[in-house]
Amino acid sequence: MSKQYLTLHTVDQAHPTEIFSLAPTPNALISASGSSHLLIHSTTTSPTFPLTQTLSNAHRLGCHHITTARGGPGNTFVSVGFGGDTKVWHRNPETDQWSLYWTLPTPDNKKEKGDVWAVALSADEGYLAATTSDGRIHVWDVLGKAKIQTYETGASAGGGGGHDSVGTGSFAMAVDLSRDGKFTASGHENGGVYVFNNDAGRMVYSLSGLAKPIRAVAFSPGCKRLAAAGNAGIIAIYDMQHGEHVANLSATGTRPAWITSIDWNDTGEYLLSGSLDGKVRVWDVARGVCVATHSETESALWCVRWLPKSEKVLAPGMGKGEMFVAAGANRSLTFYREATGS
Amino acid sequence: MYFCPIRNQYLHPPSQPTATNSHERPSRPLEQLSPVRASSARVPHNIVIVPQSHSSDNALTKIEALFETIVDAISVGSPITIPYRRSTNAQVFDPTASASNPRDGRHMDSVRFPGRNPQELRRFEALFRIIEISHEALLSGTLVTKRNIYYQNMELFRSQSVVDDMVDNLAFTLGVGRNDLNIVATAKGLVAGQVELIMRGGSKIDCAESSDSGVLLPSISAVGKIDFQSVKWLLVIEKEATFRTLSASRYYTVSRAGSGILVTGKGYPDLATRKFLAAIHSVRPRLLMFALVDFDPHGISVLRTYQYGSQRLDHEERTKVFGLRWLGIRSSDVLLNTVMTQDCSANSQGSQSSQDLSSQESIAYSVDAFEDERPAKRPRSRRTKSHPSDYTASLSERDREKAVSVLRDICGTARLDATEREHKLELQRMLMLNIKAEIQAVDDFGDITNWLDERLLKHSMDVNSH
Repeated sequence: MSKQYLTLHTVDQAHPTEIFSLAPTPNALISASGSSHLLIHSTTTSPTFPLTQTLSNAHRLGCHHITTARGGPGNTFVSVGFGGDTKVWHRNPETDQWSLYWTLPTPDNKKEKGDVWAVALSADEGYLAATTSDGRIHVWDVLGKAKIQTYETGASAGGGGGHDSVGTGSFAMAVDLSRDGKFTASGHENGGVYVFNNDAGRMVYSLSGLAKPIRAVAFSPGCKRLAAAGNAGIIAIYDMQHGEHVANLSATGTRPAWITSIDWNDTGEYLLSGSLDGKVRVWDVARGVCVATHSETESALWCVRWLPKSEKVLAPGMGKGEMFVAAGANRSLTFYREATGS
Repeated sequence: MYFCPIRNQYLHPPSQPTATNSHERPSRPLEQLSPVRASSARVPHNIVIVPQSHSSDNALTKIEALFETIVDAISVGSPITIPYRRSTNAQVFDPTASASNPRDGRHMDSVRFPGRNPQELRRFEALFRIIEISHEALLSGTLVTKRNIYYQNMELFRSQSVVDDMVDNLAFTLGVGRNDLNIVATAKGLVAGQVELIMRGGSKIDCAESSDSGVLLPSISAVGKIDFQSVKWLLVIEKEATFRTLSASRYYTVSRAGSGILVTGKGYPDLATRKFLAAIHSVRPRLLMFALVDFDPHGISVLRTYQYGSQRLDHEERTKVFGLRWLGIRSSDVLLNTVMTQDCSANSQGSQSSQDLSSQESIAYSVDAFEDERPAKRPRSRRTKSHPSDYTASLSERDREKAVSVLRDICGTARLDATEREHKLELQRMLMLNIKAEIQAVDDFGDITNWLDERLLKHSMDVNSH
């Protein structure tokens, strides 16, 4: 019934301050914190997940979001600092070293808000979706270094994004791009979840259901489902064919803690969630139940991520099967692995 | 035809009755002004003498030197020039004023008579009036409030902010503090507590005996001695309302942490409040000083104004209260309870026992509980204000901008001390969570005293154990 996960390794005090975001690539995990550095850890060479590169002074005010392309080649990641500074980093596949590729421009005129909060990369690493505090989602062509689309979520945006709705939306706290490139989803402070069709360039679904701030949205790998979670403490599952609210995942007990982060595993069977009470949960989506709960810490978790699945034993002591990682206020990275098949 | 600004009696020595255009430096009756010295008699050790700033002499010398140059200018018939450096963002009469000095962010400038235009004439008149008032105040040893200066010359100054800016810029130009000019702001801060202020004039202010609303903070330069009696702590409160509630309940005597002093600067503190606290810290360095501010960008900014001073008044000395500790409220005060909700047994811990509430209140609070929630198998947490959303609000766009700007301020410092690192972390958490909370978030249906007792005791123990 329930699945067993074991703590594989903890990188203690990986950052000098709270870890706010994690992003995996096929062979590495990138972590960002309230300090100015970004760290790259190897996830395929040793069960101690050694540090392979430090990107110093990446964001002076600290970094709150980083993103990689899920299922992508792992040659690009994007980081956003508390000052709204957004940087695109590229990996040299030969040396396996990361370097700064591009810093997103900030608009000159003051009316155009230059702030960026959440970000998501398309699976081919070609497009970047970035949200703003006034509820917009900008889509950038990363290679062409140009903004190609802006979605509005303001008052009349449901009707196709009229001009009078410009910049009147609720703070967009979360964003995701579907792996097939068809959809963009955003989660908002007012509880709104919006889905946009990227080909048509307009909103297709305005999803209700949670009514409280949304802190994470994620498309399933098959792009058929969208999961959203936040202050309501439950995960809402929406069907992307008809925009229906099809399920809620919730823990039993009293009012649940705020969920800060969710992630689908590669098969789309399981969802990982992390919350402010320090608990990591694994959910069986089909059955709608929580199959594993871990609470290594009582302090807030800011980010949880699955690592890409490997069929063979990666390195001595690492076993095979799926791994995930959690990080937050305790400044450490905790890696877990599936207990079966080791 | 022209207003003649030169009508100061000290510029008309009686020995030269014809001298409308030629003046002599006035004699300085300063000798009568020697600072009130502590008597050699033994004083109880909890009465502390507040050292007087001696730079008033300095200010007087500089003002009189300025008068001399004016007199010289008049005697040879050349234009009168008063040096005047102004802050870049200050509102002054003439926005087109000349040469700037970007190095310290202030424009190097002067005001001339006769002016280049009517605006400058007015500016000269206003500035001269302030110098004149300051000079009189220094000579007579009295203090003048900025408000008073404005109300006595409303036509001339047109607005209070003109006076405020001119006084600060004059102090900056002369290289002295505002208080050294014997010009003070109207008292804004309040104090209440088991402490007695013994003024230089000999009168006494008992801060415990007043009405519920506390006592207006006097200018620290007017305070000769402070009788600290048996106070163990000082608490600076951002909000006047919280201050009044605590003052009315005489928290400064009934606290489990011992007797203490309450101070409020009513939001962003004025110079007088900061100088008062800085002086207290310097005469009583071992007195524990705490700050209680809202968990929002302005709360942290207010805290930083107490601890690090403000940029505009950076030239003022002895305004920074380094010993001030941040009592709350922090994100952990708000978030702690999220952890508690998941484990109801946790609330039997000692730290939570003071938050006990009746079961009826607990029912009232569960009304807005999540609708999908299943019936709890265990009894509900007795701490019913158990969810952050019960008493936090979302940050507005302006809040977020303010938070980033304070963060930018902090990160501009080359090397952060532990206090600044904590400010930085709390601002980052605030932005991540997108929440703010007022002081009331930690109270117990309007009663914050239990929370305060607990925190004051905990911090006192922390300090003593180090």
